[in-house]
Amino acid sequence: MNMDKQQNWMHELPVAAYTSKEWFDMEMKHIFSKTWQFAGLVEDVPNPGDFISVQAGLNNIFIVKGRDHRLRAFHNMCRHRGTQLLRAVGKGKKAITCPYHDWTYDLEGKLISLPKQEEEFPELKKPLHECGLNLHEASVDIFKGMLFVHPDKDAPSIMDFFGSVVPYLGPHIVEELVEFQEKEGEPFYAKEINANWKIIVENYIDHYHLAHLHEGTLNMYDHAKAEFGWEGSHYWFYEPLVPDYLADVKNAAPYPLIDSVPMEKIGAYVPWLFPNIGITEGESTWSTFHAIPLTPDRTLVVIRTKVMNLSEWEFTKQYTKSAMSKVWQHYGNRGKYEGDASDPMASGDFMAEDVYACEQQQKSLQSPMFSVGAQAQRGEFAVAQFQRVVKEWIEKGKAHE
Amino acid sequence: MSNFFPLKVIELENTTKDSVVVSFDVSQDLYETFDYKPGQYLTLRFNVKGEEVRRSYSLCSSPMLEEPLRIGVKRVKDGLVSNHINDQLKVGDTVNVMPPDGRFFVDIAKENYKTYYLFAAGSGITPILSILKSVLYTEEHSFVHMLFGNRNEESIMFKEELKKLQKAYPDRLLLKHTLSRPKSEWSDLWTSKKEKRHRKGRVDAACVKWFINEFPPYAQNAEYYICGPGTMIENTKKALQENDVPDNRIFTESFGTATTDDGSKGFDNARLVASLDGEIVKATIPEGKTLLRTLIEAGKEPPYSCEGGVCATCICKLKKGKVHMKNNLALDDKEVSQGYILSCQSVPLTPEVEIAYE
Repeated sequence: MNMDKQQNWMHELPVAAYTSKEWFDMEMKHIFSKTWQFAGLVEDVPNPGDFISVQAGLNNIFIVKGRDHRLRAFHNMCRHRGTQLLRAVGKGKKAITCPYHDWTYDLEGKLISLPKQEEEFPELKKPLHECGLNLHEASVDIFKGMLFVHPDKDAPSIMDFFGSVVPYLGPHIVEELVEFQEKEGEPFYAKEINANWKIIVENYIDHYHLAHLHEGTLNMYDHAKAEFGWEGSHYWFYEPLVPDYLADVKNAAPYPLIDSVPMEKIGAYVPWLFPNIGITEGESTWSTFHAIPLTPDRTLVVIRTKVMNLSEWEFTKQYTKSAMSKVWQHYGNRGKYEGDASDPMASGDFMAEDVYACEQQQKSLQSPMFSVGAQAQRGEFAVAQFQRVVKEWIEKGKAHE
Repeated sequence: MSNFFPLKVIELENTTKDSVVVSFDVSQDLYETFDYKPGQYLTLRFNVKGEEVRRSYSLCSSPMLEEPLRIGVKRVKDGLVSNHINDQLKVGDTVNVMPPDGRFFVDIAKENYKTYYLFAAGSGITPILSILKSVLYTEEHSFVHMLFGNRNEESIMFKEELKKLQKAYPDRLLLKHTLSRPKSEWSDLWTSKKEKRHRKGRVDAACVKWFINEFPPYAQNAEYYICGPGTMIENTKKALQENDVPDNRIFTESFGTATTDDGSKGFDNARLVASLDGEIVKATIPEGKTLLRTLIEAGKEPPYSCEGGVCATCICKLKKGKVHMKNNLALDDKEVSQGYILSCQSVPLTPEVEIAYE
């Protein structure tokens, strides 16, 4: 860490935390390799024998389903010489064989065979699964329709980690929804953004900017009535629809309303689950917002969106009703600046606006003159709190080194 | 050694025509002694027809709820004790009871996030009911998927209590009944197959497979508890194993008269040397007697309770010789390979047998 007293500061963290390889490596080690990490949606591993593998901080972990329909998670490397066992996604596994020397494991991660055992490994006299060469186990669990993995096989329960924020989440029954995919197998949105992952998180949880950066794009939500706070390491947020939109929401909503949300609870629930998964639980869509750090100044954002499980015809009808609704004459799609749609600030697309703001802030971090000038005590309270949580995890991790 | 305490019967309630639920009063000074984990059992001692007999019955009450110690006792055909309890026991009677014991239990913790698969058949519901209530009441994030097999609607023990639990915990309790010989009703004629409240058949491999395929776990830390008579346990366990459930997630409690005895007679008049409570006991084992009975008849007090090869209270280590266990539903292969035996089930196969109670 830069010990220079002159160093420039964000709210609670030094600027170096957003630009240096050193900080990035510390976060990989002490945050992303020690927390429950988002791994996908439950439907990604539908049948016995199906698997997916995911990078979770420094660990590559695969999840596989047994015939008992229970998921197991293992570190994705052969115990022989470490070769990756399974590639991204696949089906119908009954055993797991390493491509390198054909060492084979069962779905419990137990080593069951290897070529030329007697000749080449005479020291392995016990049954193979008792030779200390079984796959390293990890943990996997389901939370609100999402898969999470943890590199430690004895990880604290996922409810220990997320339980306290549950009362603040939306009433959406995620398992009843289906993924909205324009192209099959591709997420709703995926983009590499030229900003540190924390810049993106801070933008997501910053209430202050909603009425300004997004004055013409997210104004169908009533920012003045927003409620938000922290539970454990996690941020929660709720705001209702503006009265005009609420009054006509059945027609105006761009997609059919999610029926597990009762009318009196309708609104936008936008929590951030530490460290890097946001959920956007709205009136007609439910999305995960996964910020995957690539380098100190690059982050991959993947958004997956779910909608009601209805026919295409229902979606067409809703689209027509929505297009005719007067609500959208006043809300939701006007850029902040006048100009060509290729300009993010004139696009009328709130994601483009956010990406623009994040990348511009990241650029300024290079400037020797940069420092955060002041903090909005309510609207940016969450930004400072998030930085404190990051700092705590790093300090806790370093203390245990 | 055998510490029995007199407990007073405070309530008797018939849950079906041929079973009774017995509630005991536990005085304050015995609260700690009689504390238990859901799934454990009580051992009762009676004098029936001049003979001292002991029987173990699983607790169906939950230690997490403010309720008295409760056991459910179903009549066994020609069963000495079960019929005695069903016919003779009265409110106000005192029964000698050993503190709760047993290796079949659940460690309940508020913060757990688990899916419990509970498989019960017949009176095997008793420990399962205790587990069920304790989990639902205490572990607010955990789920229970339960399959309960019975002969017909009328033989379902705790039917009303189960209905109430289903109503109280609709999001966390999934309960399916399977009936081997359901009574047909007129209304079945216009009820479609889907609407039937139960499945037809026993808790067997096909049924278990159907159940775990139909109702996958939500919380991924899944555990499987099985309790029932005879072959139901083995069938269920085997079906689970065939569907990739690892052994360390399966827990079983065997009930009733199951016996796997192959008729081996054993060695007549073998010599027994037993180390018990720091004493070396020597005795001759009369024909057909178990090691445990030999010691009891010699006036000793070896530990035991169920005398059915289920509870493992009488466990000891074989130091010399060989024995045959008539029935072993308690020790796993590893324990057996380490020389552990159930003295209540063991008859000698060699002229000399040496054992040690640890």
